[in-house]
Amino acid sequence: MENIKEYIESGILELYVLGSISPDEKLQVEKMAAENAEVKVEIEAIERSMEAYAEVHAIAPPEVLRGRILNSLLTNLADDRIFTKAHSRTEEVFEDDDVEAENVIAMPVRQPSFFKYAFAACLVLLLISVYGLINLYSKLQDTNTQLTAMQLDKQKIANDVSNREKELNIYRDTVYRILRLKGTPKTPTAAMTIAWNTINKKIVLDMKSMKLPEHDSAHQYQLWALVGGKPVDLGVFDSANAIDTSGVKEMKAIAAADAFAVTVEPMGGSVNPTITEMVVSGASK
Amino acid sequence: MSRKKKISLSEEELILALRNREKIAVEALYDMYSASLFGVISRIITEIPVAEDVLQETFVKIWNSFSGYSAEKGRLFTWMVNIARNLAIDKIRSKDFKNQAKNHELENNVTFVDEQRNTVYKPELLGIKELVATLKPEQKSILDLVYFKGYTHVEAADELGVPLGTIKTRLRMAIQQLRKHFN
Repeated sequence: MENIKEYIESGILELYVLGSISPDEKLQVEKMAAENAEVKVEIEAIERSMEAYAEVHAIAPPEVLRGRILNSLLTNLADDRIFTKAHSRTEEVFEDDDVEAENVIAMPVRQPSFFKYAFAACLVLLLISVYGLINLYSKLQDTNTQLTAMQLDKQKIANDVSNREKELNIYRDTVYRILRLKGTPKTPTAAMTIAWNTINKKIVLDMKSMKLPEHDSAHQYQLWALVGGKPVDLGVFDSANAIDTSGVKEMKAIAAADAFAVTVEPMGGSVNPTITEMVVSGASK
Repeated sequence: MSRKKKISLSEEELILALRNREKIAVEALYDMYSASLFGVISRIITEIPVAEDVLQETFVKIWNSFSGYSAEKGRLFTWMVNIARNLAIDKIRSKDFKNQAKNHELENNVTFVDEQRNTVYKPELLGIKELVATLKPEQKSILDLVYFKGYTHVEAADELGVPLGTIKTRLRMAIQQLRKHFN
């Protein structure tokens, strides 16, 4: 009780009513007032005094201000009512449409743009892939073509090599006898080399070193062997640069011969050589 | 007053009507308290149009934040005068107001206002007016600084160059004097 009196006389209640107090002190005073009727009564007495003091110092605001201020408050009031009504109406609408709104309104707004972008992205990826595939395919085609060409080249080279081997072997092999046929007085520049296999008796022509006068398409060369003064057909052949490019050409076999000669004969060859058309000849020994 | 009859309600009736957002509450509120609140505001802000704006802001704030008032914690006027004082102080501390400048010295406002304007005459206030007149000048200056100017008692002590304890004592003595009116 003594404490309460001291508390009241400390002047804190006056400061509380005057609003000159910290928020903490304010809460403390309010707590004290709630617990002690005496404090509450004291506060109210101070409040009444200050209220009267304010009334003594009151200044009547201009008449026009009353209308202005009341209007602004009542306009607010009207606004409040309109707003409240409108608000509740809105809420009703939302409540009714709640489920629908979530599925029909909310989803289409967000999802379509996602799918749109996803679809666009897929389309772009697809186009890039197709372009890449086409590129790859054409490159593959190129590579295949090149590979085929290279295989052909390789085969050709292999053929060439094997031919050269064959040619070389003919010269190296002691089985072959190399014979050089010389041009006749009619064709002095003509020359030809043949190889004669002494075992299987076959004649091989060296197409590379062959230098024979040109003939027309209706004629062919024909190789003859002279055996005991009689000509023996050993087969026909064309000029080296015509069809056969293999470097060597095997002709028929002949067991023994005194000499060899080449004549120009009609296509397919003749039974007997046309001696006047002889281009090269040479003895076998 | 030549105007139509002013509305007056008991504080309990007024609070109830304000809670119910009744039109009559707004009118009663204004008629009962506008002069007292305008008196406080006018002692802080001497420019009449600005003081009028602040009075309007005060009523708007009272009206809009009325749910924040608790009768348990004090009388309605105490709550309202704090709102008015704070809005008025915020206004004079705002940049806009400072830029207008050339204000009268704050200390002089109270006497200045009283000289310039007619204060409300109410016969029922005669007794307390006499009591106010009996306040010693040092009591009144402190009371006015704190109540009308929103000085904290610490600021008032600085302003007047007296110890904090003296400020508290003088405030209490001044209010005790006024309380005689109600005994």
